Amino acid sequence: MFTNCSLGHCHIIVAVVLWSICVDSRKIRGISLSYKRFYRERKSFLCIDGSKMIPFDQVNDDYCDCMDGSDEPGTAACPTGRFYCTNLGYRSHYIPSSRVNDGICDCCDASDEYRSQTPCQNTCRNLGQRERAEVEGQTRVLGERLRLKQLLIEEGVLTWREKQAQLRDLQRVSDDLQTQLDDLRKEEARRKEEADALREREIGARETADNSPTSHYRPESPISVFKELDSNRDGSITVDEVQAKLSPVQDEEHALSEDEAVALLGGAHRVDLSRFEETLWTSLRTGDSVTIKGRRGVPGSLADEDPNIKAAVSAAEKASADLKRVEDAYETVYMEIRDLREKLSIDYGSEREFLFLHDQCFQLKVYEYIYELCPFSQVTQKSASGEVVSLGKWGSWAGPPENPYCQMRYESGEPCWQGPTRNTMVMLICGTETALRSVKEPSKCQYVMELQTPVSCQPALRQRGVHSEL
Amino acid sequence: MNSSNSILRTQRMGPLLVLWLAGCLSGTWAVDRGNFKTCDQSAFCKRQRALKPGQSPYRALLETLELTNTKLTLQLINDNNKVRLLLELYRLQGNMTRVKINELKPLKPRFEVPDVLINDPPTEPLSLLSRDENGVVLSLGADSQRLIVSAKPFRLDIMEGREVLLSLNSRGLLAFEHLRIRKDTLLCNYFHLSPLLFLPSLKAKEDEKVEDGMWEETFKSHTDSKPNGPSSISLDFSLPGVENVYGIPEHADSLKLKATDGGDPYRLFNLDVFQYEVFNPMALYGAIPVMLSHSAQRTMGIFWLNAAETWVDISSNTAGKTVFGQMLDYVQGSSETPQTDVRWISESGIIDVFIMLGPTPTDVFSQYASLTGTQAFPPLSALAYHQCRWNYNDQEDVAAVDQGFDDHDIPYDFIWLDIEHTDGKRYFTWDPHKFPQPKDMLQGLLDKRRKMVTIVDPHIKVDSSYKIHNEIRSKGFYVKSKDGGDYEGWCWPGNSGYPDFTNPEMRAWWASMFAYDQYEGSMENMYTWNDMNEPSVFNGPEVTMHKDALHGNWENRDLHNLYGLYVQRATAEGLIERSGGVERPFVLARAFFAGSQRYGAVWTGDNAAEWEHLKISIPMCLSLGLVGVSFCGADVGGFFKSPSTELLVRWYQTGAYQPFFRAHAHLDTPRREPWLFGPENTALIREAVRQRYALLPYWYQLFYHAHHSGQPVMRPLWVEYPQDTATFSMDDQFLLGRDLLVHPVTEEGARGVTAYLPGKGEVWFDVHTFQKHNGAQNLYIPVTISSIPVFQRGGSIISRKARVRRSSSCMEHDPYTLFVALSPKRFAQGELYIDDGHTFNFDKQKQFIHRRFSFANNALSSRNLAPGSQFTTFSWVEKIVILGASKPSKATLKTPDGKESQLEFEFDASMSVLTLRKPGVNAGLDWTVVLQ
Repeated sequence: MFTNCSLGHCHIIVAVVLWSICVDSRKIRGISLSYKRFYRERKSFLCIDGSKMIPFDQVNDDYCDCMDGSDEPGTAACPTGRFYCTNLGYRSHYIPSSRVNDGICDCCDASDEYRSQTPCQNTCRNLGQRERAEVEGQTRVLGERLRLKQLLIEEGVLTWREKQAQLRDLQRVSDDLQTQLDDLRKEEARRKEEADALREREIGARETADNSPTSHYRPESPISVFKELDSNRDGSITVDEVQAKLSPVQDEEHALSEDEAVALLGGAHRVDLSRFEETLWTSLRTGDSVTIKGRRGVPGSLADEDPNIKAAVSAAEKASADLKRVEDAYETVYMEIRDLREKLSIDYGSEREFLFLHDQCFQLKVYEYIYELCPFSQVTQKSASGEVVSLGKWGSWAGPPENPYCQMRYESGEPCWQGPTRNTMVMLICGTETALRSVKEPSKCQYVMELQTPVSCQPALRQRGVHSEL
Repeated sequence: MNSSNSILRTQRMGPLLVLWLAGCLSGTWAVDRGNFKTCDQSAFCKRQRALKPGQSPYRALLETLELTNTKLTLQLINDNNKVRLLLELYRLQGNMTRVKINELKPLKPRFEVPDVLINDPPTEPLSLLSRDENGVVLSLGADSQRLIVSAKPFRLDIMEGREVLLSLNSRGLLAFEHLRIRKDTLLCNYFHLSPLLFLPSLKAKEDEKVEDGMWEETFKSHTDSKPNGPSSISLDFSLPGVENVYGIPEHADSLKLKATDGGDPYRLFNLDVFQYEVFNPMALYGAIPVMLSHSAQRTMGIFWLNAAETWVDISSNTAGKTVFGQMLDYVQGSSETPQTDVRWISESGIIDVFIMLGPTPTDVFSQYASLTGTQAFPPLSALAYHQCRWNYNDQEDVAAVDQGFDDHDIPYDFIWLDIEHTDGKRYFTWDPHKFPQPKDMLQGLLDKRRKMVTIVDPHIKVDSSYKIHNEIRSKGFYVKSKDGGDYEGWCWPGNSGYPDFTNPEMRAWWASMFAYDQYEGSMENMYTWNDMNEPSVFNGPEVTMHKDALHGNWENRDLHNLYGLYVQRATAEGLIERSGGVERPFVLARAFFAGSQRYGAVWTGDNAAEWEHLKISIPMCLSLGLVGVSFCGADVGGFFKSPSTELLVRWYQTGAYQPFFRAHAHLDTPRREPWLFGPENTALIREAVRQRYALLPYWYQLFYHAHHSGQPVMRPLWVEYPQDTATFSMDDQFLLGRDLLVHPVTEEGARGVTAYLPGKGEVWFDVHTFQKHNGAQNLYIPVTISSIPVFQRGGSIISRKARVRRSSSCMEHDPYTLFVALSPKRFAQGELYIDDGHTFNFDKQKQFIHRRFSFANNALSSRNLAPGSQFTTFSWVEKIVILGASKPSKATLKTPDGKESQLEFEFDASMSVLTLRKPGVNAGLDWTVVLQ
């Protein structure tokens, strides 16, 4: 059902209308002027397919003699016959013979119901007027729409160039970053090696001094530290004791204020062992605020005291951070390039006229759902409860070969309960504004949207001949 | 517009339903058998089936025999427990016998099925031929038919001459569970009640052990409280000389019923079976407890009038024997007479059996029709093509589909709206967004002389802002649960109530809801579909109503299978009333019972887009036709799943020759309107539908006959060729009336079919090529995708309307073409029935035309078959095609006014087809064409 789409929204199809009706065709009902020659009144009538010769009075006698139905153009007798609605003032056309005298008005000139009880009015004049007005209106707006289309095409061209330039810039940045990355990787490796080497040496030295009672590497427990700080051995640590034994990390000479001490004890003036573990011990372990006077580093996880090691480690860390930063930048640029390339690889129409739709989204509310179409990206459905369901991701153009850009297919949306994945067909139609016009779900989870846009408008030349003998 | 996820979330289906569906759907497409009981899981069936053939404990107490003008009564006693039963025997007019057995003094009345018989069947006197201590012999009137009542053990035999036609309780399987007092309440209640009344049951207590499931039964999570305890009944029937039994629909099984030894019995219990399987005896949506037996000598019927859950066991002494084995028996002369034994088991109620003694198939149809009535005569348009889908989304969608048919020049008469058209599954309402102007939509269809069907299901959304619900609740019309409150269950709208359609006041109220001023947005071209009327209860036991739910004083257990009939009846009555009794209704229902034929059409429910389901549609509708329901069809294309294009085309071709012709599809399937499969397939479907429309005059005439005399429209071959044993199990082809034989192509990739053309010395004409074939042969027919093998019987005359238009109404005044197929003796006969196509005037005012066409002695004439009737038609005879003719020198048309005129004609010598050009006579007049 999606294979035929009209070229643009404005069906200006005004066919040839016979203006000379002085020709006597009244006798032979249901034929067009061009067929008149087959029905010249003679003694006999030759079926148009040449299959049979019948007496002329058997033409339109309500009995089908010819296989091709040509003897009964004005009655319903032949199953394959057709009846010509002249429809003066409007478009003439054929209807199947089975619609002659079936009680339903088919021709606007009422000529098909000449023997039925259904009263049909001749509405051709009104229809014609309405259509002409419509056509005129359409012609007027078509110019505007085509102008808009041109603008959008130009916009597309600009965007295209812009994007190309952007891509080139990004490529350059990427190359730069690549060079930096190479350097930084080397630097980082070197620093790391240095630090590791120093550290290894130090560990070796400490292992020899392992039995020393003052070793920094004796693992300290909260109990031992508690005991060390508990000068009066009363099983609790007071503000005084804190002030006496501890100092800020940055300034060993500076004494702690009472408030600072209280804060370190978690707001108390006196703490027992368990409370100590929750408060002061934690601060001591992190080692970034206070330390025990005369000591360096963090109890329990003592930092390298050797300034050489410290320097080497921090240099290695810095190199690592530098590398990470540039790697991130490279990654970002890489993604951008990829996205941009992907974007640029999409088929935006023969003149890239649909490029402007990229990065735009269109919404339409239908009953309780809000539908959103982001061309060349995805289609979603948002329910009143706010849940968003994917109705498909950009797939491909899906119009017929002669006009591929009149339909878009979005596929592989969220799977349906017990069924295939949701997909959406977007029909592009000609209109002034670019907007979503309708959403339907003809079968479960198969959506059809209409997107109107001036870009889908075609010049009037593409339509059938217009005659103005009306 | 729903995403299917949201369907599961919205009020449409409650969480229970989701669970239920998830259970049903997990992994497989097949039915979840675990949701439905086997005989073993149905306590009474298990108890009854445990009883094996043997000496019956029942004895007739001949001293209690009373014979009146209309019936014989006699008491039976069970020697094991001394409980007495009362037997009533009636000889009914039209060669039928009725056997009723009830408890002599039941604790409380047992349910007797109302509203199914169209009247109290008229009786004929029984006369006593002889009587001794062993029994009595009664005369059944004509044909030396006798009814023998044997006393000990009790049994009944119906004989004709020296032949036993049928025996009851010959295998001793009569079992009648008498009502009894619950043991745990016995001590406190017993002595307050009359001791005399309960003496038998008290005594019985000693003999009968209480078995599981007698007073309570649990299936899956559902407990059936069984306040009345065990109440089941059973009786066996033996049919000597019978090898073929048919009927007891609805089952997705072969036409000829199979022996059930070693498997489950056929089950009759109206159920909403999700994704049913073919070829098994499981219960489906409807139940008609009527079985036909057939042999080359005689056709008979057994009508077991009971609306409770019923199981039917069939065994046969020839089943399982190979043809060779049977032949060996024959040659050796050792063969016992073939015999089929049937046993009926029902959960409650009484034994009330009608034995229809035939002897011909036609007789049995008339006999059954005299009991339960005939097929409702549908509006002509209902016989045309129906386009349905769950769902046409909105008015715009309806308009587009309607236009699609015109654009592709395919006729149709009805477009259908499934549940999504309503405002939140509140029946009698419209979705305000999708169908804001239903009358505009209906007027649009009316302008094209087309019609619509909307769905009205019997479950009612429990919602205090819903008028229908409020009225039913306030009037107390809902079915009650065992505790006395309104019974509620889950269905499409979520929590739902179930109106008590067994209540005549409820039905009258329901009918009044179809009035044009009540059902807003309805118009005269809108008709009704009752789905889910088993009733379907998503969270109920076996997806239906609890058996202890109450319809007034009666439990659902007693009348379960009757519920669907009442729903359809009340709806049909509503459609009649809204037109002031003028218009014929059209109502489609899924559940049915004996007598449902009086109210409309049925279909075979939720089938699937599979070749097996296409094939099974033939035996399913044939089985229904045998027991009165002629207006039957299957969803064309298959409801679940998506058909291949070939299957869809073949299904249209088959459906075009089945009575109810409707395409339908599940919500989750892709669209499948006839034009969506490429121009070639559109053309194939168009051609199938056009064949249907051209043949509508014949369909209409067949339905008139079904309505008038109860003869089925779609018939197994054996109905017309009762002595041709080759036809007895045939169910891949069928007859329409007597005159058309249809062998649809139902095999994937078929390149040919073998059709059996019956009738020695008869001929059949291919309706498409006019080629003549001899009867009594298997004919191989090469087929292409466009083939629909159909044959017209030599000796028949069939009327068609060759001018196929957009809808059947558009063809009303069109002329007829007569197809005269000559027999080898150059004879033919046919009929034509015409009326206004939609009112009861044919019946009330005898406004119809009924003609007989006869061809004999080289003259074809039309004469009036109904002199008392009057109707004027514009239709005339446009063409006469005589098959198997020879070339005349001239053809003269004679009319009663004495005028004669010569007709032009053409003669095709290669096919012997003579075509008479334009006789032009009015179809309602007398005329004769003489060939010289």
